[in-house]
Amino acid sequence: MPLPDTMFCAQQIHIPPELPDLLKQFTKAAIRTQPADVLQWSAGYFSALSRGDPLPVKDRIEMPVATQKTDTGLTQGLLKVLHKQCGHKEFVELDDLEKKWKNLCLPVEKFRALLLLDPCTKRIEWMKFLALGCSTLGGSLITAMKHLCEILTKDPEGGPARIPFETFSYVYRYLANLDPSISSSEMESYLASLKGNVEARKNGMIGLSDFFVQKRKL
Amino acid sequence: MPGPHEERPARRRTRDPGAGGRAQRPEVPFPAGLPEKPTGRNLREGGTSGASPGCWATGEDASDRLRAAWSQPSGAPACGAGLPHPAPPPREPPLVPPLVPPRHPCPWHYLRLSGSLESLAPTCFKAKLHRKSGGSTPDMASAPAMAGRTPGELGGGTYTYTSRPRAVPCQRRRYREDPLQPSEESMHYGNIMYDRRVIRGNTYALPTGTLPGQPDLLDLQRQQMARRRALARKRAQERLRPRTPEPVEGRKHVDVQTELYLEELADRIIEVDMECQTDAFLDRPPTPLFIPAKTGRDVATQILEGELFDFDLEVKPMLEVLVGKTVEQALLEVMEEEELANLRASQHTYAEIRNVELAEVQRLEEQERRHREEKERRKQQQWDIVNKHNETAQKISARVFAQRYLADLLPSVFGSLRDSGYFYDPVERDIEVGFLPWLMYEVEKTMEYNMVGRTVLDMLIREVVEKRLDQYEQRSLVPGPGRPGHPEAVREPLVGFQLPSDPNLSQRAAYSRAPQPQDRRFLGLDE
Repeated sequence: MPLPDTMFCAQQIHIPPELPDLLKQFTKAAIRTQPADVLQWSAGYFSALSRGDPLPVKDRIEMPVATQKTDTGLTQGLLKVLHKQCGHKEFVELDDLEKKWKNLCLPVEKFRALLLLDPCTKRIEWMKFLALGCSTLGGSLITAMKHLCEILTKDPEGGPARIPFETFSYVYRYLANLDPSISSSEMESYLASLKGNVEARKNGMIGLSDFFVQKRKL
Repeated sequence: MPGPHEERPARRRTRDPGAGGRAQRPEVPFPAGLPEKPTGRNLREGGTSGASPGCWATGEDASDRLRAAWSQPSGAPACGAGLPHPAPPPREPPLVPPLVPPRHPCPWHYLRLSGSLESLAPTCFKAKLHRKSGGSTPDMASAPAMAGRTPGELGGGTYTYTSRPRAVPCQRRRYREDPLQPSEESMHYGNIMYDRRVIRGNTYALPTGTLPGQPDLLDLQRQQMARRRALARKRAQERLRPRTPEPVEGRKHVDVQTELYLEELADRIIEVDMECQTDAFLDRPPTPLFIPAKTGRDVATQILEGELFDFDLEVKPMLEVLVGKTVEQALLEVMEEEELANLRASQHTYAEIRNVELAEVQRLEEQERRHREEKERRKQQQWDIVNKHNETAQKISARVFAQRYLADLLPSVFGSLRDSGYFYDPVERDIEVGFLPWLMYEVEKTMEYNMVGRTVLDMLIREVVEKRLDQYEQRSLVPGPGRPGHPEAVREPLVGFQLPSDPNLSQRAAYSRAPQPQDRRFLGLDE
């Protein structure tokens, strides 16, 4: 509302009623996401909001990795954000992805490095990208699968992160193919065993406990 | 002076008859300010000779009373209203000051007798003192008595006295007594406890004092003497006291006031009664609105645009609050949500672990159960085998024993059986069972036939013999017809002839049958 010509007191100043709520949501998102560059991220946030896209907001607060061992600042949370943003599509445009990547204040070089693992031109299958991201998160294939499970699962956090076995096997195969050290026969046998386990028990979902033994600190 | 004389009687007439005894002695020593003291004194003296300057009870002074007496006494006190006051012989003082009717009608005055009025008032004391004629003392003494007795005198009225409570006025003299005017001995205080006028003792039997008209001469004399003595004493004392020297020839002492402002000298403090009364029925008017007076100065000014309001400045606190609150709230909410999510996550993790453990436990349990069952089964099996084994052994042993035990059972059994005849030759048996009895029976029958035949024969013979005998007897008796025995005899032979007549009939039957019916008939016949 433009300022009327004669304004005499502070009570005349009118605050738009949606503003506080908007601000609050934004603040909460910022606090949760903890972007390195707030401005960049805010631009991304508001553009996504205006377009109606899923917001680049982490669901859980995750302190940014200060000492960046992997030098990406890529965390599971961020991958989750990306997944939230792009997961509904099967294929993502690289430019779009790059923009989103930047909005999360992640270094672009790493993006390129990721893409180098599996080169493609315009678009990339989202699953593959996610798989690549997961592999950079953890050192081994198994940890990558663990991250993947946790990202993709619909179960509540902390629960058995279950994903459909087909997805699992697909990603597993993909990553194993990329990794030259694992032979395909090993992979197949492993997958077969897992499959047997899974089908005996549940409805085709594979959970963390099936392949990942967490070292419990006793 | 003559004026008051005249006035007095006039006043007396105008007065209420009920108030006859009222201040007949009007005595104000100072009607309108004392001209000078000696004269005033004189006046007073004269006035008080027979006047009562003021009513002691009501506290009014003589002036008031005198003044009041002019007006019609209204609302005369009821005391003694019914009492017709006798008109006592008034004690007319020689000098009568200007009479002013008393303003406040005092009940005392009603009861007061003419001679005693002045004695009842405190100022009456003074009057009494100044009065030379005397007789005031007796008056004083007798006044109460008289006053008390008056009703009695009058015949049967109750003595009542009411008065408005009044403070005792100060009787302190301001100036000392004039040496030329010796004061009489008197009581200067107004304490009721020491008032000789107050009757003490029983009141139901009043002392019969002297009648008002007939004072006790003896008492009077004594009192006068005492008074004279006291006066003499006082005079002597007075003479000793230093006084101002007499004025020189041709001069006169004059009292002069040396202060800045002249002061009216008066022994008696002028008392003025003031009354005030609010109008009872008037409503309190509403308080007027308080409109404070306008203070200050009017100043005018003009405000240009932009002078009053600066947006940036004004908006700052708002922004602060907005942003601050937003951030704070957002932080709080995030922390809350975080905490909740953490809790939930840990819950789920815990649940997960628990599930896994539970599954493990279940598996182990299952395993355990299976093992146990297996064990149980095996054990059971084993047990069965052992049982069976035992049983078999037992059976075998039993059988062996039984066998041995019953080894020689068989021959003995057979032997006994044979002995009891269970093994028999059937032909032999048959012969024994079937043939031999028949044979015996037949033999018996035949023998019986023989016997029967013999018996029959015997009977026949006997019959015949008997008949023959009878016949012989009958023949012997009556050679008549022995026919009755004949048919029988005829019949007999018939019968007897019958016997061999049909031998073809089953001989045996005949043999068996015939003797029997014959026997029976014969026997019957015989009997």
